[in-house]
Amino acid sequence: MTNPFREDLVSRSRPEPCTVVIFGATGDLTHRKLVPAIYNLAIDGELPPGVKILGFARREKSDAEFRKGLEELNRKVSRSGHDDTIWASFEESIHYHQSEFTDLAGYQRLAARLDEIDRERGGKGNRLFYIASAPEFFDDILTHLKAAGLNQAAEGCWARVIVEKPFGTDLATAQQLNEVVNRTFQEKDTYRIDHYLGKETAQNLMVLRFANAIFEPLWNSRYIDQIQITCAENLGMEGGRGGYYDKSGALRDMVQNHLLQLLSLVAMEPPTDLSADGVRDEKVKVIRSLRQWDSPEKVAANVIRAQYHAGHVDGKPVPGYREEDRVDPESMTESYVALRLMIDTWRWSGVPFYIRMGKQLPKKATEISVHFKAPPGVLFNALAGGVPGGNVLVIRIQPDEGISLRMVSKIPGTSLRLEPVKMDFHYSTSFGKSSPEAYERLLLDAMAGDATLFARRDEVEEAWRFIDHIERAWHQSENPPPMAGYVAGTWGPKEADELLQADGHVWRRL
Amino acid sequence: MATPEMHPELGREVPVGSIDKELHKLWAEDEARTNASLMNLAVYSEAPGALEKNSAAVRELTAEHACRAILIGIDRDAPETSIRAWITAHCHLSHGKKSICCEQIAFALTGKATGRLRNTVFAHLASDLPLIFWWQGELSPIFEDRLYSLVDRFVFDSSGWVDPCSSFARITEAIANATRPLVVQDLAWTRTFQFRVSVASLFDDPIMLSALSEIGAVEIIYHPAHRGSALQLLAWLAVQASWSDTVELPLAVPNHNDSKACFSFESTSGKTILATLVANPDSAPLGCLTLSGGEVSASVSREAGSSHVIRRIEAPGHFVEAPGPADPDTCADLIGEQLARGGKNSLFRKILPRFRSLLERQ
Repeated sequence: MTNPFREDLVSRSRPEPCTVVIFGATGDLTHRKLVPAIYNLAIDGELPPGVKILGFARREKSDAEFRKGLEELNRKVSRSGHDDTIWASFEESIHYHQSEFTDLAGYQRLAARLDEIDRERGGKGNRLFYIASAPEFFDDILTHLKAAGLNQAAEGCWARVIVEKPFGTDLATAQQLNEVVNRTFQEKDTYRIDHYLGKETAQNLMVLRFANAIFEPLWNSRYIDQIQITCAENLGMEGGRGGYYDKSGALRDMVQNHLLQLLSLVAMEPPTDLSADGVRDEKVKVIRSLRQWDSPEKVAANVIRAQYHAGHVDGKPVPGYREEDRVDPESMTESYVALRLMIDTWRWSGVPFYIRMGKQLPKKATEISVHFKAPPGVLFNALAGGVPGGNVLVIRIQPDEGISLRMVSKIPGTSLRLEPVKMDFHYSTSFGKSSPEAYERLLLDAMAGDATLFARRDEVEEAWRFIDHIERAWHQSENPPPMAGYVAGTWGPKEADELLQADGHVWRRL
Repeated sequence: MATPEMHPELGREVPVGSIDKELHKLWAEDEARTNASLMNLAVYSEAPGALEKNSAAVRELTAEHACRAILIGIDRDAPETSIRAWITAHCHLSHGKKSICCEQIAFALTGKATGRLRNTVFAHLASDLPLIFWWQGELSPIFEDRLYSLVDRFVFDSSGWVDPCSSFARITEAIANATRPLVVQDLAWTRTFQFRVSVASLFDDPIMLSALSEIGAVEIIYHPAHRGSALQLLAWLAVQASWSDTVELPLAVPNHNDSKACFSFESTSGKTILATLVANPDSAPLGCLTLSGGEVSASVSREAGSSHVIRRIEAPGHFVEAPGPADPDTCADLIGEQLARGGKNSLFRKILPRFRSLLERQ
């Protein structure tokens, strides 16, 4: 029987009441992102009644202490502010469970606690397990969830798991983790989160491409010259993150997941429908079609890695990467990577996709730019100087989300002079209302059983398969490609510029 | 050259024939401002002093909804015939830096000039953008096909209408006769939105869903100024739950008095549902909706002035209580909510016949 009162009220999948169990509940992600996201959903009326939160972590805490810590952070970071009355009601549904991640008895007590909460506060037994702990505990948590029988939902209910990145460190570890996950939960109940996909502009990519008839006919190698994806950060290893980052690097930390996901959305064929598998089937085809490099020489010709040297960012002096806290002074981990990718499909044959990601660059910006081919060399192109630059469609992911289109216009006057002009759409200008945080959308989707914005197993593994070729060339070959350098506060190494110059292209100036 | 007359709220008075030129000058004065517009928003009122009040409301609205605003003040009974126009821009800082501005044109039409409303006002629409027409007050003779046929979305508030039966008959006729699809939006219906969302969320609970066929009583407490919202909420419940109207039953209380009205319905399984509407001057516009039957009771309630509702389910061994957002109280805020949601409002059209039949049963 369907709920007759739902008709025409909300155009999205319906979230169901559940208990959200967060592993790593005392961590930053829980306090800064997850609980404020659930609170904002409650404020907006998006959360179904009966959603409860149970934090699972190693530290000793009472429910009241846990709630107090969450409240303090919520006051600071909540998108829609903090309302004491709403919080008072909201926090009643927050509980804490202390246990070591490796202690099976703790999970057995967790099962009893969940049943008890359901009995006391009314709940039908849906469970959403959110693994926000350090990655080394993923295996233990999943294994013990199964051992305690928590992976099995009661009749008519569901048990789902959300796994935070990093989802493995290479193909082998990702496959091993996937095996553990799939031994515990079915693939349809597994949600591998990539918060980039929860961002408004990332979601708007499909709308831009497939709800506007003017773009898709041009979206191919006949009209597009090159595509660039840039993710620039103006931060380094502040807050002790060097320890994690030095084991990971730009390629594994950002490219394998976020940037290849964006690439998939830009390059995929139109899906047959908007179902989770309809969309993900097309995305994974893009990753499978990436040209693979089977030798260090080919990797060197297409991928540039670099580390920043001491310099200035935002007017402040910053140390070089190897001088950063918790970074190995002889580290060979890249803080910058630039790639030239080719997608061997009919649509994209011959079109290079350039991806770059770097730390300590001049500013924070993530964007996709689609560079169209120049018009034929007649008429205005025959003028001295030709046409100044081709058309460029820019999709800004963050900050200042929006879309702009560069075109050429005549400068007013009696002579024929051309200049590029820009048509600009800013989300914040046109829509005053702030967008929900990525985690809000993604948590709601997981409660609703909609996995469209989550990565599927084959997507993750195909991405690692591609990345592993590069990592092997860098770290396991006898003749590894060199590590380039760039001064902090600049736009990366000259080798990255040369990568594009070889094709007659330049990086877009942000 | 004479200095243009400045109105503190409406801005610079300009000749009607020079509005476009003057707007251009307005933007040229400060190049740092960004002109944003996603729609034309016309606000129509025949009440004295409405232009100033509506300009203040539009200033608030434009913080979230970029538009070209066209304010129309009409005085049909004035002896003299005149058209005056003012232009201004409402600006807001976006993320504390960029100044985003929306332009506003205000028209005051008096006497026979009111007949020139269509030609004068609609010559100043921003092209290619939808026209949202917010009509304030009773429907007057100016509401006719040559007006509503230009409109994409017609917004009104039926809560103040003296004779809602005949006014809704005109709205229904307009929907049928409009030469383009006309979306109508009653703010009385918008006031029920969060209550409807809350009711729907209550029935997401399987216990409530399975108890739907057991529901035998409905009570809606409302503020006397918002009887239309209460009736529309009841009409929605009846339509969505497939409750049919029944011949009125003999009831223990009078069927209708100033503060209480009773209706009866029949479910698809033949169960009788008694619905009571209770007016309470201390209530929020919609104060409480309670559905009960068998051993289950569910409610959505809101204290007057509160920013949230409380959703509650009580059943043996099962108790759920959760807050949810409440609808705003002012018309301008309701319009803002409605603009954010968009849509064709097909659900309102679906319940409209039932609502009209409830109006007529009173």
